Amino acid sequence: MPPHSPAHPEVALNLALAVITSSNAPILLLNGDLSLIAASRSFCSAFEIDPVAVEGRQLSELGAGEWKAPALASLLTATAAGNASINAYEMDLNRKGLEPRRLVLNAQKLDYGDDKNVRLLVAVSDVTDARAAAKVKDDLIRDKAVLLQELQHRVANSLQIIASVLMQSARKVQSDEIRTHLHDAHHRVMSIATLQQQLAASTIGEVGLRSYFTDLCKSIGASMIRDHEQLSLKVSADESVTDADESVSLGLIVTELVINALKHAFPGDRKGKIGVDYRSNGQDWTLSVGDDGVGMPKGPQSAKSGLGTGIVSALAKQLHGIIKVVDTNPGTLISIVHSHVAALNSEPPAVLGARAI
Amino acid sequence: MMQESTSPFAVLVVEDQALIRMGAATVIHDAGFEVYEAGDADEAISMLELHNNIRVLFTDVSMPGSMDGIKLAHFVRGRWPPIMVIVATGLPDFQCTDMPSDSIFFSKPYSPEHLTGGLRQVMSQLQPR
Repeated sequence: MPPHSPAHPEVALNLALAVITSSNAPILLLNGDLSLIAASRSFCSAFEIDPVAVEGRQLSELGAGEWKAPALASLLTATAAGNASINAYEMDLNRKGLEPRRLVLNAQKLDYGDDKNVRLLVAVSDVTDARAAAKVKDDLIRDKAVLLQELQHRVANSLQIIASVLMQSARKVQSDEIRTHLHDAHHRVMSIATLQQQLAASTIGEVGLRSYFTDLCKSIGASMIRDHEQLSLKVSADESVTDADESVSLGLIVTELVINALKHAFPGDRKGKIGVDYRSNGQDWTLSVGDDGVGMPKGPQSAKSGLGTGIVSALAKQLHGIIKVVDTNPGTLISIVHSHVAALNSEPPAVLGARAI
Repeated sequence: MMQESTSPFAVLVVEDQALIRMGAATVIHDAGFEVYEAGDADEAISMLELHNNIRVLFTDVSMPGSMDGIKLAHFVRGRWPPIMVIVATGLPDFQCTDMPSDSIFFSKPYSPEHLTGGLRQVMSQLQPR
């Protein structure tokens, strides 16, 4: 028993033709011999075919014969015979005086309960513009990657120039104090440069603090520690990652605190160690630099603050952190503590003045 | 103070940025080596032809002229095989796999200690000729 018989065969045919004709997507209805039964208005307007000259024509006769493609005809014939189906078949439509159009065709044999009269439904999409847009986008993405590389290269070179000039200035000056200042400036530049290298290696603009601080301390240690048996510099940070802005501030704070400890905590040949640590818990974090050196000097002269102190205070404030200085006897532990709740209440940060750094 | 070079080996610095080249030359000189400088690969090759005590090539990668640092490194290895190669680059995703064997690679900016450390490392593999 047929599942559902239409009221009148002619009405059913008219309905099918009306559906085809009004389709917004370009489609064709073909007989098994590849002659046309109907084409949608969208097909006719997209490919400049006269709608009245469609019915009964062979596909190969459409327009000026631009649809005459042997490969397509053989695929359609195989589909009509039930031996194939056409999924996303691509072809170029070449018309005189017009740019070729890239088409994607899908065709299937319609299963409608009449095996004698084979019908094929062919859907045609013109992907020329979409492909061109995708290519433009790909090119833009590639151009952007090249520009970014070029920029990173430039930044690295510029930092190298600055570092070079600072080193040569340090070499030329007579005053020990000025030389120290120039060396410190060199360290600050290298601290930012180390971050730049970490960022260049990261694709998402995030920096793993442990590897950043480790590189940073390696570089400071290499130039400031003469005897690694006498002084050790160790980093123990958790898995935290931070963005570029936050990382550069944290790195500069580490640079200042480590240089300060190296300069002041181990007078003479005093042995000791310096530890750099970073821990985060949700949005709260603590950065600390501790040493087991001679501790902070007592007395009024200790209140004199250097550029290093100013840098640490300013950056801690920018990071909404509080500076805590603890006499660990032996040594000193300086921490920058960021508490998310306190930062929301914009509590003013403490001032570091215990030891001039 | 300028001291006389203490090593029989000389180092050739190839870098198109004059200030970086000057800085590197200073560091190398202070480490006790004679230094020659070149602004590009062609100049570097002329230097190598003139001075047979050059045993280390320290070169930038991106340079104007007929060869970049990588090509120069390979050319030098082919023509003067005993010369050791150190390469520095600011290129972010530089692959050091296409370098001559035993080469050392730095990313820019490098510190003076980094450079002297690299020099000591390659010098330790050299025998006086």
